[in-house]
Amino acid sequence: MSVEYKLNRLDTSGVGPLVDKHWRELREAKEKGMKVAWSSGPLFVYSYATPNMASHFMAGYAAYCGGRKMADEVLEAAEKYGELRDTCSYHRLHTGMMAMIANDWPVTDPRVILPLPDLLISGRFCTEMSHYMEAIYRRFGVKAVIIELPVARKTEDLPRIEKYVTDQVKETLIPAIEKTSGSKFNEDNLRRIFRDWKETCIIRNKCWEFLKRKPALWTLWDYGVSIAPIFYAMGKPESHAYYVNLLEQLEERAAKNIPAVHPDGEKYRLYWDGWLPWAFLGKFLRLMVPHGAIPISGRYPWEFFPYPEDINPEADDIIHEWIRVLYTSPNRLAYHDGPWGGKEHIEKLLEEYSIDGMLFFSSKTCRMWNLGQLDIIDKIERKYGIPGIVIEGDMIDSSMVSEDQLRTRIEALLEMIDARRR
Amino acid sequence: MEEMMKEFFRYTSDPYRAISEWKDASKKKVVGVFPMWLPEEIIHASGMLPVVMWRSNEAITWGYAHVPSYNCPMNKSVVDDAVKGKLKFMDGMVFLRECLQSQEVPYIIENNACPPFEEYLYLPPIYHGDKASKGFTRDEFEKLRAGLEKFTGEKITDEKLRESIRIYNRNRSLLRRLYEIRREKPGILKGRDILRIVWASMLMPKEEHSKLLEKLISELEKKDYVQAKGKKVFLSGCLCIHPQLELMDMIEALGMLVVDDDIYVGYRYFANDAQLTDDPIGAMVERYFIKTPVDPAKGEVELHWGDELVEKVKKVGAEGIITLLTKYCPPHLCYYPDIKVKLADAGIPEVLIEVEHEIISLEGIRTRLQSFKEMIGGV
Ligand code: SF4
Ligand code: SF4
Repeated sequence: MSVEYKLNRLDTSGVGPLVDKHWRELREAKEKGMKVAWSSGPLFVYSYATPNMASHFMAGYAAYCGGRKMADEVLEAAEKYGELRDTCSYHRLHTGMMAMIANDWPVTDPRVILPLPDLLISGRFCTEMSHYMEAIYRRFGVKAVIIELPVARKTEDLPRIEKYVTDQVKETLIPAIEKTSGSKFNEDNLRRIFRDWKETCIIRNKCWEFLKRKPALWTLWDYGVSIAPIFYAMGKPESHAYYVNLLEQLEERAAKNIPAVHPDGEKYRLYWDGWLPWAFLGKFLRLMVPHGAIPISGRYPWEFFPYPEDINPEADDIIHEWIRVLYTSPNRLAYHDGPWGGKEHIEKLLEEYSIDGMLFFSSKTCRMWNLGQLDIIDKIERKYGIPGIVIEGDMIDSSMVSEDQLRTRIEALLEMIDARRR
Repeated sequence: MEEMMKEFFRYTSDPYRAISEWKDASKKKVVGVFPMWLPEEIIHASGMLPVVMWRSNEAITWGYAHVPSYNCPMNKSVVDDAVKGKLKFMDGMVFLRECLQSQEVPYIIENNACPPFEEYLYLPPIYHGDKASKGFTRDEFEKLRAGLEKFTGEKITDEKLRESIRIYNRNRSLLRRLYEIRREKPGILKGRDILRIVWASMLMPKEEHSKLLEKLISELEKKDYVQAKGKKVFLSGCLCIHPQLELMDMIEALGMLVVDDDIYVGYRYFANDAQLTDDPIGAMVERYFIKTPVDPAKGEVELHWGDELVEKVKKVGAEGIITLLTKYCPPHLCYYPDIKVKLADAGIPEVLIEVEHEIISLEGIRTRLQSFKEMIGGV
């Protein structure tokens, strides 16, 4: 390794206070007389739009605990409570936290403890999401609303699924939110959120353009950290301000020709498939950057409202509008979560972001993406000559992550890229 | 009796060969259905033989080029068999969205070993049993009917559907009778034999299975019964796959008698009938939405699998429960801790045995079962 590569991280320090504020407000919500909803999947927007309801996004909590290195203790509590280790780590994390509350177990960092919910909302892209809501319902009696969001196999199925999901949301979810919050569902608020969110995401997408540049000016990891404002502060001024600042930083970098990797940009541009490994972001980067490799794009972060142009905040039926975005808008977001649409989506990202190689992150306890990954790699390798490998691990459970395995696999991928370049 | 059993065993000893032989002889087509809740009657009414896909009898090898090892044995096995070409005799395959893993299996099948007919049903769970879900399920069943009609060129009339429902109900009621006999006379048949009888019903034509089973039942009803020795136990879980026959033998060798179960290749498969009404598709939808036996993959939040087990164990006088957990099966993994608590609260002894594709450590299982036996009394 003759060149000494180093990462030139973007300043994402604005995220920390914003994230802390979100969770603090959630912890204080009940004292302020608010109701609390826990939600998984994209239906989060409906509770979020309810003014006297504080919303806890379950995957966000996992990212929060993982990023703050608080996950292992909660996972241990889950195990003590009887959870089996092959169970999805996000499930274990939530039941672990609730076990800590129920049993009054000591906790090193009190920030892991959240108020018990008044309502559970599961948007079942992944069927497992509902399983942890069911478990919480069984143990604590919290009302659970489970909405089925099938991942489509064929595009012609999308309109039918869209109607089914809309019917469920209107028949079941909205009345439950109204009952729990004690007020009529606030459509104007939902419109306002979509309007502001759309505007923020247009700026965010301008930032993405700088990932397309060679050399890239920032990394997928910087963006991974920056997802928080999009989600926790959806439609709020601070989210907008965060992205305005990020864009300014990137424009400055562009003007001064400062790449994300010193001294003169990345040698390998990698695609990342699957969830981000929240508790191990640094670990992964340390294995990649010394080789001049950085992650540039990925399927999961693109879930966060990637096509702001697809939503119409002024649509007559605003409740349906979000589901239309998921299923039948031009970019049919939900289609990309299954392997059928996923492959098509990955191919698009590979071209747009000039990818050299693909890392498919396969979580040992989350089987959301991993069943089709090997086949997708095979198809893409044949078609584009871009090599890919699978790396195994977990987003937050350190007992499932082996650094040696990761190192060997990442190095193997880089060698494959080199071999194709020769 | 042995003759009848031989026929059941022929199917379960080598299902690949037995079904292929049936196909050659009958000149009919075969459609594999993924467990657990596809309406086989619709396929039957199309004139083809629906067979429930099974865990194979070989180690997973080629399948690992497509599925990670930490996925459930059902998925690994179907993919492995398919890519090895062992399922070529299937003219069709039907899949369903029943859990996170099963929803992606068809992608691998389509890419590597797609049969001439393939269908995928987005069957919803039964959470609210609401209008939307029932309507959507009905559309899915109709989609299967239309797809099959196109494939065979034959109309599937309501009359044909009703006839298939009648044949399936008949078989289900016979299997329930077999279970009743076992409850009354535990040990009258070996655990492995009962398992193979139920499994055979998933593999062979229902009409033939029912004929044999009817004869077997009348023999069993006449047979002198000597009270078998052993502690009565209830088998629970084992979603989608059949447990290893060796496991059934081991339970008995350790002095326990299975008196009842809620496993998939068991009571779960034949617990409920579809009504014979003017609207056969509607009747199958209603059957799909029946909430018991509680199924973790179908998610019913108002009922508790643990309560159901407590009630069943008391009813059949079992002294404990052996839980068979299909390894890496999220619906069961997520539910199990709550079942365990319920059983502990009710003072019902229970032991957990994980069932992988292949038994990894018979000795480990023996030790666990041995301690369980000591716990429920007796050495
Ligand atoms: S299995 Fe994966 S997608 Fe599903 S809830 Fe768990 S972490 Fe989320
Ligand atoms: S055994 Fe469990 S995980 Fe596997 S297909 Fe069946 S329900 Fe799904």
